[in-house]
Amino acid sequence: MSVLFELKNVVKGFVKGKEKISIFEDLNMTIEEGDFVAIMGPSGSGKTTLLNMLGGVDQPTGGEVWFDGERIDSLSEGNLAKWRANNVGFIFQFYNLMPMLNAARNVELPLLLTKLSGKQRKKNVETALTLVELADRAKHMPSEMSGGQQQRVAIARAIVSDPKLLLCDEPTGDLDRATADEILRMLQLLNQKFNKTIVMVTHDPAAAKYAKRTIHLDKGEFVEEELVA
Amino acid sequence: MKDLFLVFKNLTRKPLRLFLTMFATFVAFLIYGTLTTFEDAIDAGVELSADDRLVVVNKINFTQPLPISYVNRVEALSNITGVTHLNWFGGYYQDPQQQVITFAADPESFLTVYNELLLSDEERTAWLQNRQGLIVGEALADQYGWKVGDRIPLNSNIFSQADGSSAWEFDVVGVFTGTDEQANTAATYFHYDYFNETQTFGRDYIGFMGVRTSDPQLNEQVIKSIDDMFANTPFETETVPEKTFNKAFIEQIGNLSLILGAVVFAAFFIILVIVGNSMVLAVRERTGEIGVLKTLGFRSERIFVMVLAESLLLAIASGALGLFVTSLVVNILNSIPQLPVMVLSTDIILQAFGIMVLLGLITGIIPAVNALRLNIITALSRQ
Amino acid sequence: MFGLFSQIGTVIVMNIRSLPQRLWMSLAAVLAVSVVVAVLLSFLSMSNGFASTLDGTGSDSVAIVTRSGSQSELNSVISRDSVNIVSTAPGIATTTDGQPFYSAELYVVVDGIKKSSGTEVNIPMRGISRTGFELRDKVEIVEGRVFEPGTNELIVGQGVLGQFDGFDLGQEVTFGKTRWSVVGVFSTGGSAFESELWADARMVQDLFNRGNSFQTMRIRLAEPGNVDGIREMIENDPRLILDVDTESDYFATQGEALQGIVFFGWGISIVMGLGALAGALNTMYTSVASRSAEIATLRAIGFSNLSAFFGTLSESILLSLVGGVVGALVSYLFMDGLTTATMGPGFTQVVFTFELSPALFQNGIMLALLIGLVGGFFPAWRAARLPVITAFQKAT
Repeated sequence: MSVLFELKNVVKGFVKGKEKISIFEDLNMTIEEGDFVAIMGPSGSGKTTLLNMLGGVDQPTGGEVWFDGERIDSLSEGNLAKWRANNVGFIFQFYNLMPMLNAARNVELPLLLTKLSGKQRKKNVETALTLVELADRAKHMPSEMSGGQQQRVAIARAIVSDPKLLLCDEPTGDLDRATADEILRMLQLLNQKFNKTIVMVTHDPAAAKYAKRTIHLDKGEFVEEELVA
Repeated sequence: MKDLFLVFKNLTRKPLRLFLTMFATFVAFLIYGTLTTFEDAIDAGVELSADDRLVVVNKINFTQPLPISYVNRVEALSNITGVTHLNWFGGYYQDPQQQVITFAADPESFLTVYNELLLSDEERTAWLQNRQGLIVGEALADQYGWKVGDRIPLNSNIFSQADGSSAWEFDVVGVFTGTDEQANTAATYFHYDYFNETQTFGRDYIGFMGVRTSDPQLNEQVIKSIDDMFANTPFETETVPEKTFNKAFIEQIGNLSLILGAVVFAAFFIILVIVGNSMVLAVRERTGEIGVLKTLGFRSERIFVMVLAESLLLAIASGALGLFVTSLVVNILNSIPQLPVMVLSTDIILQAFGIMVLLGLITGIIPAVNALRLNIITALSRQ
Repeated sequence: MFGLFSQIGTVIVMNIRSLPQRLWMSLAAVLAVSVVVAVLLSFLSMSNGFASTLDGTGSDSVAIVTRSGSQSELNSVISRDSVNIVSTAPGIATTTDGQPFYSAELYVVVDGIKKSSGTEVNIPMRGISRTGFELRDKVEIVEGRVFEPGTNELIVGQGVLGQFDGFDLGQEVTFGKTRWSVVGVFSTGGSAFESELWADARMVQDLFNRGNSFQTMRIRLAEPGNVDGIREMIENDPRLILDVDTESDYFATQGEALQGIVFFGWGISIVMGLGALAGALNTMYTSVASRSAEIATLRAIGFSNLSAFFGTLSESILLSLVGGVVGALVSYLFMDGLTTATMGPGFTQVVFTFELSPALFQNGIMLALLIGLVGGFFPAWRAARLPVITAFQKAT
């Protein structure tokens, strides 16, 4: 398996008021293609910052972030947006669906960044919605759906342009246990059957169990890494 | 008012929005202040007219002349303390565009009937003695830099001298001021005799008469005796109180107060909508906080008052600023001689503060009621 | 480029679809802009109507001769002798019976009662002859008949009937000692002449003690626009202290009298526009704030910040345009065609009608656009700079 992500000597800090807060002082890690990594840790441990850096949403203060042989920490805003459009699917804790668009339109959004024809886009949206078992809800508005259903629409939106990488920020944080399991099984399926690389930030140990491995972060350092059998 | 600190903090939490809302309110009061002051200045001509003064004009129209013999006949009537006559000269200085309000007058009776014009004793004597003497209002003297001792030409766009020239030479012998700040001093007066002897047509005719009655109560009676005296002559007269005459003169232009009033109304309507909305929004955003305050034991009425105080503070602060800038604008406008003298009066200021309070209450009432009715549980769950 | 346009398109559609969520705030912005535009267009249509009334009064094929420096017909005097001399000038058209085609006229002021205020106002009365009718292109008797020369009969312009009391057809009017009867109503195609009373020139001379003098002389030109022959004669004859101009030039300068209204209208609208701009900025900043999670999510998906910028800017422009159109319509419905009278440059009432032309309409829309553009630009800038991380935070 080839290396998808490589973080070399990443430094990250920010200034809050008069104080300088350091999150990562020298972070090194690799994520291989097809991996499913759960990142856990107490709040303030830097797990969301790490996810944001992987997604090109936040930039490290120092060090290098390599993705598939390309250095992304030095890309411009515009190029980062293009890079995200091509390679990353995001799944958020609060789904972040557009309230005025129906499910299908929400899923279609990333495809508007491609050159696909309207017909082709429609087909891809159908495929993605079928995959998350919501083909029959295509015309529903987000407000007409449950949290679990909304998150499934968000997953469909994340995978519709077939990115290599899925980044999930507390994807089950707002859901009940049963629904959470349903979502996590779906992520697992995407990892195993479609070979999506998944990085998931969570504070729920039960959710982490669905991953191939779990990284525990504390004060910007890996304290533990466990592999799930 | 120990909640004032909280009110202030709430008001200033979003500086940009505060600035924009205040600016809109400021603009409305600037418009209100300037236009109302302007309207006031125009009306001053009517307001300052003397109650015991009448204007006698030709019944056909005031641009038609009257014979000079009428003056003596009116003087002979009872209940009259003074009669004078004036002719519109159609004056301009150097350029026909630079019109100068100029009348040919009989100096002695003029200064008696129009005693609100103030001249020093020396100036008065100088004018009476100099046949080519001209008295100039302070505003005009400032505009053209004229001073006592200058010899200046004024042209007429109506009359001409025997040699075909329309220019008359005058000695500036006095600069007059008015008893009232808003009195019109953008005018000049010279000897009727000088005018009558030098101009080529319409000799021995006058434009109109100013008549002072011994008591405003007797106006009606005097009006009747003057108009009856000249009925069925080739020059019938129409006598009206000065106030009526000035008012009708302004009305000829159109309904200015309607136009200005509509503009002011439009300006206030805009800010009512903008500020009202902004307040509703500002309070809605702190639904959660209001919930917290209520949990802490703040009574709903107290929160209601706090929201109203906020909108009142906003309206009064920006309105006062608008009035302040109005006073600056008025100063600038007063340096333009073509405009009437504008004074930002106490009446206008008080009225403006009344509107500020009204505006503050109207824009604050909806969000205040919303806050009053807010239920703690929904407030906290909506956060 | 295709990608960018479709991105922007998507964001615009999404913004507009979400407008109902910000209904009141958006309506406030629309309303503010519409009031500003309505105020502007009302003033502009007022001065436009006035100017076009006076412009329409002047004909290019008629010259007007006045006393030099008189500035208005009212102040002018021309003796019979001067009239006779000028009538021999070159460049004057001839009537069918071979006479020089001119009309010597009087212009005096009488009192009328303005219907709107009930106060006395100055109404112009023109002493005119039959040639004066023929000389003007558009004169038409719409009711009654023309006055008989040598009698105390007069005819009234249509504008006078609408705005002033006391001049109805068949009515008797007293000026000084003489009684006049109104025998006809005339129209001149909406020009300032319709604000006048017309009577026989000789009768007017008698009534107003004018002897044998006139005030203006109207001359039909042999060649439209060409007054050179007459001007040359006037300049070379020391007895003639007169001015000559084509009638259209003469009235065009007088039509500028309400130019002050244009400045006032623009001034007040710009100041009010600043207030509306503050409202628009408020609305758009609120819009960006309420959509920040959506904007950030789109950016996380890979939409460019240009799309966020133009999406917001278009929303603002759309709102202002709607406001501009509404304001223009209001002004059109309530102001266009409104007839009123004001003191014209001749010291007499001029009846005119508010006229909202397409060019003025454009002005209003431009002002609305400007408010939308500036009011949208800064919030759009903020939208474009919104950190993508916002998408990961709890929506507020």
